[in-house]
Amino acid sequence: MNSLVSYLFIAGVLFSLGLAGVLQRRNLIAMLISIELMLNGANVNFMAFNRFLTPEPAVGQVITLFVMGIAAAEAAIGLSIILALFRRLQSVNIERAQQLKG
Amino acid sequence: MTLGGIFSIESAAQAMFWVVVGLTLAGAVIAVFPRIILYNVLGLALALTGVAGIYLFLGSAFIALMQLLIYVGAICIAIVFAIMLSRPLHLDLPKRQLPKVAMALGSSFLFLAATLAVAVKTPWKEAAERSTDWSVTAIGHLLLTRYGLVFEVISLVLLVAIIGAILTAGYSRRLTS
Amino acid sequence: MDMMWLFKDPILLAAAAATWIPFLATAAILIFTRKNVRLSCGISLGAVSISLLCALFLLISLRHAPGPLEYKTAWLVTKDIYIPFGYLLDPLSLLMLLIVATISFLVQVYSLGYMSGDPGITRYYAFQSLFAWAMMTMVVAPGMMQLYIFWELVGLASYLLIGYYYEKYSASQAGKKAFVMTRLGDIGFFLGLVTLLLGYGNLGILDINQAAQAHQIPQYLITISALLIFCGVIGKSAQFPLMTWLPDAMEGPTPVSALLHSATMVAAGVYMFSRIFPFFSASPDAMAIALAIGTITMLLSSTMAMATYDLKQVWAYSTISQLGFMVMALGAGGYFAGVFHLTTHAGFKALLFLCSGIFIHEYHSNDMRVIGQAGGRKQRIPMVCMTVGALALAGVFPLSGFFSKEAIMGILAGNTNKFWLLAGLFGAFLTAYYSFRLIFFILFPREVAKEHGHEAHGAHGAGHGHDDSAHGGHGEHGGHRGYVYWTMAVAVIFLAGVTVVLGFFQSSLEKFLVPHAPVVQAAAGHEGGHGAGHLVVLVAAISMGLFGILLAWFEFGRKGAKQEGFLRKWPRVEALFANRWYMDDILRKLLDSVVYAGFTSVFTRNDRRVIDGGLDGFCRFTVGSGRVASFLQSGMLQYNLVVMVAAVGLVLLYFVTR
Repeated sequence: MNSLVSYLFIAGVLFSLGLAGVLQRRNLIAMLISIELMLNGANVNFMAFNRFLTPEPAVGQVITLFVMGIAAAEAAIGLSIILALFRRLQSVNIERAQQLKG
Repeated sequence: MTLGGIFSIESAAQAMFWVVVGLTLAGAVIAVFPRIILYNVLGLALALTGVAGIYLFLGSAFIALMQLLIYVGAICIAIVFAIMLSRPLHLDLPKRQLPKVAMALGSSFLFLAATLAVAVKTPWKEAAERSTDWSVTAIGHLLLTRYGLVFEVISLVLLVAIIGAILTAGYSRRLTS
Repeated sequence: MDMMWLFKDPILLAAAAATWIPFLATAAILIFTRKNVRLSCGISLGAVSISLLCALFLLISLRHAPGPLEYKTAWLVTKDIYIPFGYLLDPLSLLMLLIVATISFLVQVYSLGYMSGDPGITRYYAFQSLFAWAMMTMVVAPGMMQLYIFWELVGLASYLLIGYYYEKYSASQAGKKAFVMTRLGDIGFFLGLVTLLLGYGNLGILDINQAAQAHQIPQYLITISALLIFCGVIGKSAQFPLMTWLPDAMEGPTPVSALLHSATMVAAGVYMFSRIFPFFSASPDAMAIALAIGTITMLLSSTMAMATYDLKQVWAYSTISQLGFMVMALGAGGYFAGVFHLTTHAGFKALLFLCSGIFIHEYHSNDMRVIGQAGGRKQRIPMVCMTVGALALAGVFPLSGFFSKEAIMGILAGNTNKFWLLAGLFGAFLTAYYSFRLIFFILFPREVAKEHGHEAHGAHGAGHGHDDSAHGGHGEHGGHRGYVYWTMAVAVIFLAGVTVVLGFFQSSLEKFLVPHAPVVQAAAGHEGGHGAGHLVVLVAAISMGLFGILLAWFEFGRKGAKQEGFLRKWPRVEALFANRWYMDDILRKLLDSVVYAGFTSVFTRNDRRVIDGGLDGFCRFTVGSGRVASFLQSGMLQYNLVVMVAAVGLVLLYFVTR
């Protein structure tokens, strides 16, 4: 609880789990979920640095706030894209979207 | 005051900390690995709640509540709506491919190892002067003076996102109907 | 451009003018005056007359010159090699220059009549000037390289003129055949020059002659390069085995045959041989081989002449045979005999061809029987002149051919092996026989044998010989006394006169040619002898010639003769002679089986499989590897992401652990 490295460890694990989800899951919504996990991992990182290293604690929180805001916007757009894609492909399987295949 | 002389406040807090971390990581695992999408959403909600707890331990109640509000309250619900609209539960679950899983786990493990190595090896230096102003007033003050531009920009971004979401969802509907 | 040095020296000016003005004529005609017939003929004729005058001037000015006069500039000089360009004026080249200029002039005058009305006549005169330029510059060459270059140019002129009637397939084929066959010989020639150049370093004619006689060049080098250079003689002078191009070359117009393929171009080989005679004679092996080849050629072509009915073909085979005689003479060591025979042969062979040309022009047929039956003997001027030429060819006193043949026989008699002399005498017999066979066919025609596809001519018979208007011949005759006839007649009469008197100039010519080449005199020591052995040879040669004429008279000339040669008794032999001893067929088989099936097919297959295949394989490899690489573009997002993440992780690890 009192060392920076443990928080960095936790953030890293969160991020990697999210990464594994993005690379592995075929369901688009599951990929979105994993992306949210990654963002949260980054946020935890910011807060940890804010707590242990920075001169002004308010700045780290402002950063975190903005990341959350962006994550919200991104989730909204992502969901509407998934919806549009679902209407097109009749499925949320990402392996159906291979039109860039060379 | 100690409870039975064994636990002190300090160790209780430490134990609580590890519980919260455990919940977070459990939630993350549930969010990634099971194949039923609703389990994933619920796991996400659990993980995000755990992260809010971590923020508490990191000293900012404001951000913890914001986390709960935005992530758990808005984003997870939106995802549940999307699940219901796309009804993936009624579609077939494709088989899990082992090579793909192996590759994904392998590369993310590699990344994890790299990141941790960086975290461990870097000599983190504290700043010389650290202020102790953790109040919300300070955040608000910064938002409106030093980071005023960023504040305005993010509101613009949110506006654009809303419009974009409406358009994207509605346009494709017009195309297919 | 300061060219005053050219004009200061009249000898140099004359030499330059004689050789280069025909070139200017060719250029002018080809570039400017193609459409204007009169102007082109005038330019060409003018150019060759200037050359003739310059040649006469040079001969007269330099007839008492103590030694050869040389003008040269170093064209290519390095530490080991010296190649000059310029003019070498000594008795041999001056004599040859005069011969070439005279016969070119006469033939061009003759062509005014013969070729009148022909649509391509400007092209014809352009090429005649081209030939004149090439031949004359070749003759005065001081170095073998200049000789070789202009030798090739002469071959080019020959090709252009043989294929003059290019729309006729046989003519263009004949031109090609002539060029390729002589070129084959020229490969050997060039190899010989290169050998000599690399071995000795200097290709100047006077230098190599002197060096060879002074034993400064190693013997093997002389022999090898002499043999290779002799290949050029084989090609150009139609010796065995490269002789079948000359009869085919008769496809060209008759004046061309008279100029190139009897008097001058084919004599270029013999000229070159005599030019470097001291060099050649330093190698007895090369001389022996030259002698053998000359003999074979002479005998073979004489037999071929006996079996053909085509006027020009007889004279073509005769030319080959007489060239064989010349090569025999030179090979046996008779420098003056060979050169003298070259001179007289130029005169009477051109005469024979030009007379035949008049007949061919008149009766539109090459066949001697048709000409005879159509009344050829009534054309008095060509008939008389042709008889004079045939007598000279057969070696009858007092014509020029007699003196030159005697000189050759004398040389052959001086050789220890009498086989060559016997061959020469037999050849003389055959020569007389076939030439008078032709004469008697025309002089005493029979009314039989109309089946040669010339019914139109046969029907006219002897009485219609003069009036030619029914034939619809080319050009306006205006009867026989128009300019067409007289340009031809004048040339022919002049040559007949030369043939009659030239023989008596033998001794003055000998004094002119021989003393200026002391080395040559030593090598040609045989020809001085006038002993009793020489008298036997003289009688034998004369009797051989007369016997040939008598046999021809018996078989063809007298009343009641069947006009079939004694060859008819052996039809297989006659067929052998008529088919040129199947030399063409052998060559064709050789070409098909060895060259085409062997070399050409190997190279073609190599080109198709290896080179094309290699390129195709390269392309296929590129396309195939592209196809393989395109598997990376699977369109699957997650695979790309996996690679990206792994790469970033690895890079980070690398930097962290370093």
